[in-house]
This record gives sequence, C-alpha cells and structure tokens, in this order.
Amino acid sequence: MYNLGQYLPKESAVHRLDPRIKILSIVVLSVMVLKARGLEPALLSLFLAAAAFAGGVKLRHVIDALRPLAVFLLILFSLHVFLTSGTPLLNIPPGISITREGLQLGILTTWRFAALVTGASILTLTTTPSELVSGLERLLRPFNRIGLPSHDIAVMISLALRFVPTLLDELGRLRKAQLARGAEFSKGSITGRVKASSSLVIPLALGSVRRAEELARAMEARGYERGPRTYLRELRLTPADYAAFAVVIIFLTGLKLV
Amino acid sequence: MIEVENMYFRYDGDSKPTLIDINLAIEDGEYLAIIGPNGCGKTTLIQHFNALHLPESGTVRVDGIPTSDSRRVREIRRLVGMVFQNPDNQIVGMTVEEDVAFGPENLGLEPREIGKRVVESLEAVGLSSFAKRPPHTLSGGEKRLVAMAGVLAMKPRYIAFDEPTSYLDPSSSRRVLDVIRNLNREGMTVIHITHDMDEIAAADRIVVMNEGRIHQAGTPHEICSDVERLGMLGLGIPKATELLWKLKKRGEIVRTDILTIEEACDELVARLRKGIPDRSLRKQQEEPRDV
Repeated sequence: MYNLGQYLPKESAVHRLDPRIKILSIVVLSVMVLKARGLEPALLSLFLAAAAFAGGVKLRHVIDALRPLAVFLLILFSLHVFLTSGTPLLNIPPGISITREGLQLGILTTWRFAALVTGASILTLTTTPSELVSGLERLLRPFNRIGLPSHDIAVMISLALRFVPTLLDELGRLRKAQLARGAEFSKGSITGRVKASSSLVIPLALGSVRRAEELARAMEARGYERGPRTYLRELRLTPADYAAFAVVIIFLTGLKLV
Repeated sequence: MIEVENMYFRYDGDSKPTLIDINLAIEDGEYLAIIGPNGCGKTTLIQHFNALHLPESGTVRVDGIPTSDSRRVREIRRLVGMVFQNPDNQIVGMTVEEDVAFGPENLGLEPREIGKRVVESLEAVGLSSFAKRPPHTLSGGEKRLVAMAGVLAMKPRYIAFDEPTSYLDPSSSRRVLDVIRNLNREGMTVIHITHDMDEIAAADRIVVMNEGRIHQAGTPHEICSDVERLGMLGLGIPKATELLWKLKKRGEIVRTDILTIEEACDELVARLRKGIPDRSLRKQQEEPRDV
C-alpha cells in the first residue's frame, strides 16, 4: 500500500509542534510552491530541507515517499519537455524537438509536484495520525456553526485509519482461503484475473458491512452520539508554536517580497 | 439492580420471538453466568440491559430506570458496560489509550479526568505499558483486555461480558477471567455469557437458557447436579464434576457436588489417603509368606 511516510517516533522540535501549526504551514507552503517563480524554488527547497533536518527526517525517508511516484514524475517531465513550443535546443528527428521553455517548465512542474509530496511526507513522518485528526478537528471547529460537523468528521477519519490494517489482514486471509481452493491471482488472462479478484472484493465488502454494524453497536454501547464531545488531549498552543508559525509565515511570505 | 419482567422480544421480520417471558433480577455485586446452546438468545438478552434492544412487551429496568426511556439512554449505557464477543469490531481508537478514552470522551468529561481514567483502567487490566500501541499490533487476548479497559473507563456498575474467552489460548483466558473475578471481588456486578462450564464455578448464580426461555436458574452446584438435563441441552459440566461422576458410575464412593479441579484434588487425595493404609496392611500380610 502506498503511504506518504509512516510516523517516525522521535523527539524533535518538529514532532513537538502543535499539529494545527504543521497543517497550516503545509497549506501556506503548498500555495507558495504552486506559485513559485525564478529563484523561489531553490529557497523553498532549502526551507523543506531545513524542516526535514529539524524533524529528524532523513533523505532516505523522502526518497521512499517519492519512489512510488517516479514513473509519474518522469511522464510529467517528458510531457512538458516534448510538448512545449518555443526555442528549440535539440532536434530529434522526425520533427520532435526539446525546447528551452519546455525544459524549464518540465523542471519546474516536476519540482512542484515533488516538493508538495515532500512537504506532506514531512508532516506525516513527524505527526501521529491521531494528532493529525485532532489538529484537523480543531481547525474545522469554527465551521461547526455553518453546519460542518467537525467532531463527526474526526471520528470518521480516525475510524477509517484504524480499520485500514484490519481490512488488509482480512484481505490476506481471504486471499489465502481462495488460493487454498485453487484460485489464481497472478496467472491467466486479464478477465480471469479480474474474476478471481472479485472473489476477494465481494467477501471483503460484505465483511466490512457486517463489521460496521457491529462497530456501530459497540460505539452506541459506549455512549457515542453525534455532536460535541470532549477529548483526552485537547490541543494547546505554546509560545514555541506561535514562534514557529511566525517564522514559517515570515519566511514563506517574505519570499514574495524578495 | 437490573430487573427484567415478563419480557418478550422479536427481531424485525421474525415470526417467532427470540426471547420469551423472561423474568430475572440481577442483584448488585452478583456474579451471574448465562449459559445455553448457540442461538438460544443469550446475547440478545444481555443487549437489553443497556438498551441496545428494547423489549416488545414487558420491561427492563436498570436501577429503576426503564430502558425504554429514550431520554435516559446515555445514563443507562454508562451504568451498564458491555464487552462484545469480537474485540476487533469494538476497538475504535488508533492507539490503545485513545480507545480507552473513547467512552469518557462521549460522556463529555474533562481531559484531566479522562486521562486519569485511562491510566486507572489500563492498570486494572494490566496493560499500562501498551498505552501508545496501535490496536492491530496486539494479540487476541490483549485486544479483549483493551475492550474491557474501554468499558471500565466509563465506571459502570454492571458489566456484561459476551463470551470473553472465545478464541483465546489458555493463558490469555486465565488473564481475562482473573480480571473479571477481580472486578467482581471489588464490588462490580458481572454478567458473563459462556460455553465453558469450567468458567462458571466462580459464579454466584447460573441462568440456563434454551430456545429463548430461561430454562433453569440456580447456584453452580444446583445446576451441575442435573447432569442429564444439561446433556440434553447440549451443554457439558465442569471437567472436575465429570471426572467424579464417571468414578461414581464405576462404583467408587465419591462426592459429585464438586466443580473445580482444586476441590476434586482435595476429594481424591482424601480418598487415596484412606485407601493407602488398607493397601499397606495387605502388603504386610502378604510379605511373611514370601519370606
């Protein structure tokens, strides 16, 4: 399964930051990355490197997050290089040319994409899923008034995350059960394989429905009702959080003024 | 006290009721075991105690509150905790401590109080060092204990356990049963569904269910004395009792009102001790002839 980067249990300044600060910083960073021109990509890369270093994230972790996207990045790059019109740098017969503009645009777009993924993976590497969910819940709480149920959204996301490993286990069990009865998942024609995989998907889906019913019952038994609830850890912003956020905002917006 | 009076229940669309004329009073501090063949309505019955099901007719009252009072459902669910059969489908947290906190969070308690309850509940089940672990990394027995801690954190007066030791290895079963017995010793009212007759020797009272009715109720001794009847329902008797019954059938004079291995040991040791002098006497009589 593809994941951006699973939480690295460490004690670092970035780990200790309030998840809200991290989420907001990523949002601002993403906007900056998408609008970056000229020298800005270099400075933003430097910022990402500094954040990674402060969070104890190694180059290896970032590469692990990018590797599954390598083919996609390559296609993205090639499309821009070959399909942008402009001053030709190199002519490859017949009639295909690499242009200066294409090369620039290709590098910029590929960098943008990689930078976004890197930023997101630094976030998930330094923040536990539960912190992320409670950060998101707290950020969405002001929207309760216009009918966005932040508490329910938080419960939904954390349940989904909680059940990913359980469902993967179940998928593994089903696969073995079907293999034991002679199913073939890696051989045969495409249609054969699709048919074989339906023998996994259908029981998995039915099992999930049953599981969801039982879960709903257990949650009810533990007094769950929609709407406001309290939390074991209520997030609290420290002076360090404010300081970090100020630095991030000043740096990122300062780029625009340079 | 949980009181059930003339209660009937039918699942939507069923022609036959699942529970028929149930009358039962569970006293505070009691350890009540419920046994009966699969599909006899045990689980449906205990799910009436916390208003997950409402009776079709008759009443269920928890500390005097009828479970049909929809305004007080939250109060009833706090009073009556429930540990379901499959722990995988009742753990909602991404970590052990978050799961244990789920109930108190629903009650709207202060973060500090929630934290205190999480620590206490994990301690009570012996999982203090597991607080930060994600649930899918736990063993079956540990998951069961997490589910129990999650219920304890709501500080209920009654806890109903639905087959708490199914699919567990012997040492995990023992851990779970020890926690249940400890809770009862400290004053918790325990309702315990099981198929394992060896587990019920510790109960104050046993309710035997069959085909939606309460078939019989009594102390473990009373219930286990009627071996034939239990056999007819497809239920066994504790292993120790079975051993002594078989000895008695072969003509040995042994007590059969015994439920635990320990008691059976005492009985057999007493019998053997009585037997040994006879045998040694016989030996002494035989020896001179050999010489």
